[in-house]
Amino acid sequence: MDFRWTEEQELLIQSLEELLQREAPETLMAELDARHEFPFKPWQALADNGILALGIPEEYGGVPADITTLTLVCETLGKYALPLGIIYSLGIITIRDIIQFGSEEIKAKVLGGFVRGDLPVALGITEPQAGSDAAAMKATAQIDGDDVIFNGQKMYCTLAKIAKYILLMTRDAQGTNPYASISMWLLPTDTPGLRFNILNKVGWWTVPTYEVFIENARVPRKNLVGQFNSGWPQLMANFEIERLALCAASVGAAEAALEDSLSYANRRVQFGNPIGSYQAVQHILTDMAIKNENMRNYIYKVAWMMDQGQSVRHEHAMCKLYVARAACEVTDSAVQIMGGLGYMMDHRVQRLWRDIRLMRIGGGTDEIMYNIAGPQLLKHARKS
Amino acid sequence: MKIVVCAKLAPDASDIEVRSDGSISLDRAEWRIGSFDLQAIEAAVRLRDAHGGSVTALSAGPQRINHSKLRKDLLSRGPDELVLVAEDVLNGADTAVTAQVLAAAVRKIGAVDLVLTGEGSADLYFQQVGLQLGELLEVPAFNAVSKIEVKDSGVRIERSLEEETEVLELPLPAVLAVTTDIHTPRLPNMKEILLAAKKPVYEWSLADLELENAPEPRVEAVSLRAPRPVERKRILIEGSPEEAAQSLAGYLVKEGVV
Repeated sequence: MDFRWTEEQELLIQSLEELLQREAPETLMAELDARHEFPFKPWQALADNGILALGIPEEYGGVPADITTLTLVCETLGKYALPLGIIYSLGIITIRDIIQFGSEEIKAKVLGGFVRGDLPVALGITEPQAGSDAAAMKATAQIDGDDVIFNGQKMYCTLAKIAKYILLMTRDAQGTNPYASISMWLLPTDTPGLRFNILNKVGWWTVPTYEVFIENARVPRKNLVGQFNSGWPQLMANFEIERLALCAASVGAAEAALEDSLSYANRRVQFGNPIGSYQAVQHILTDMAIKNENMRNYIYKVAWMMDQGQSVRHEHAMCKLYVARAACEVTDSAVQIMGGLGYMMDHRVQRLWRDIRLMRIGGGTDEIMYNIAGPQLLKHARKS
Repeated sequence: MKIVVCAKLAPDASDIEVRSDGSISLDRAEWRIGSFDLQAIEAAVRLRDAHGGSVTALSAGPQRINHSKLRKDLLSRGPDELVLVAEDVLNGADTAVTAQVLAAAVRKIGAVDLVLTGEGSADLYFQQVGLQLGELLEVPAFNAVSKIEVKDSGVRIERSLEEETEVLELPLPAVLAVTTDIHTPRLPNMKEILLAAKKPVYEWSLADLELENAPEPRVEAVSLRAPRPVERKRILIEGSPEEAAQSLAGYLVKEGVV
């Protein structure tokens, strides 16, 4: 068993760390968070330094990268600038759907633009009545000659207004099987008939989320991504890597939380000694470090399995479930270690704590992860 | 324009461990390209990109520098090829030995128009090698160079001095030691990192350099010790500016600082 990264991975991550320290320092990320501003400049810096090109086919300006390398990138983004890790992770599913199922015309404009610094394509799946039960969606796509007309409402559509496109999922009302009645479309966000309502969230203040109202939005029929009524399996094909990417960003955030806690425990003097000298604090710190190590090992294992072409059907769900909860616990412990300071808006750990909480909900809730993993475990047991 | 850029590969200062007796351990230190040499590499690559030609990276040191990750790191930053003179006898080489080895390597590379170095090495920072190299090669050599422009058959350089900027025009070949503010070094991307593994690396021994005499050190390192850590005084001075200044002066006298 070899836990070492390749030399290329080491050099890439060193370079990325330096880039983030230059272009996305903590002071800037804190300011953007306070102002609820999207990190446009740091995002462009990622494009200018080839990070967004990773994993994109070379004919569209990309550079080959395996899933382990993408995982390391997400982890590093999460550690130094969590919002960038979140944005990058959200983009992984839509961008990979475009790579896998998009027409040449769609690929050329979307992938080329992404490599040059366009925001990721937003994912339009959730609706007011269709959250975890995503297949209960009602948004429609009505074919009209060479065009298609969309109607409906999407919820929790992160980046929708500021991205160039939404990867819109619609339901064929005639279909009896909902999983065989969903289609995937590329919807430009400047299409007439779209209205956006920004939603106020507890965290992710630099990464805006919208409610999108779609009324007679007309686009060319060739904006279909993949096959008509095959949207569900197409979407599922890349949910696993999106969840892994979100996990990796969460691990990075947990590492940052532990670093802040260790530094504080060494500096903060109470009762005449640094608080780190007290066992009660040491136990918390050690538990945080163990969780970080476990989380890291878990994401690397799942990434490695995916690179080997192995199924991660239940492993990815268990990994997401464990990492989301453990990262919440670690960031919560960081707030505890830092006491009053940890609860102040001036310090990073409160932001990590708020931002990480969504990881137990977004990309599939804890409860849905149980629903995915449990039956798979039982199925495997029956086979063996 | 054929450019040679010299880079020292040395232990990362942030990884240095100080033993209880004050001696320094480099056993766990990761080796990196000298931080001041990154600016020289960037300057060399920009000159090549603007005026054509080639950039050869050159490094001399112990065997440890002949490491594939270090080679890729250097080459991912833009040079076309790398020449390494890696022998353990060069471990801890002083500036004289380093300059003699580099000069011999530059002669062996041949027909070099410009040699660039950083303003000093990241570990010892003597700031001597560039100037000694120029002397040995018998070409003009300047340090503190903050700007280089190619002009006619030579270069026009700016030197950042304490109170003035000196502008000089030089014929080539020349040796220039650049300042840290000449350019912000680029950060290699994955494409450049992957490409680096395909660029040529030439490993030369000291014998290959055909030196007339074995390089002679001029400095003998007697010992190397970390300074003893001093407990911070944690003195908080309060009061009006006049009172605070008086109080500060009192503390400085008491501590024997002034």
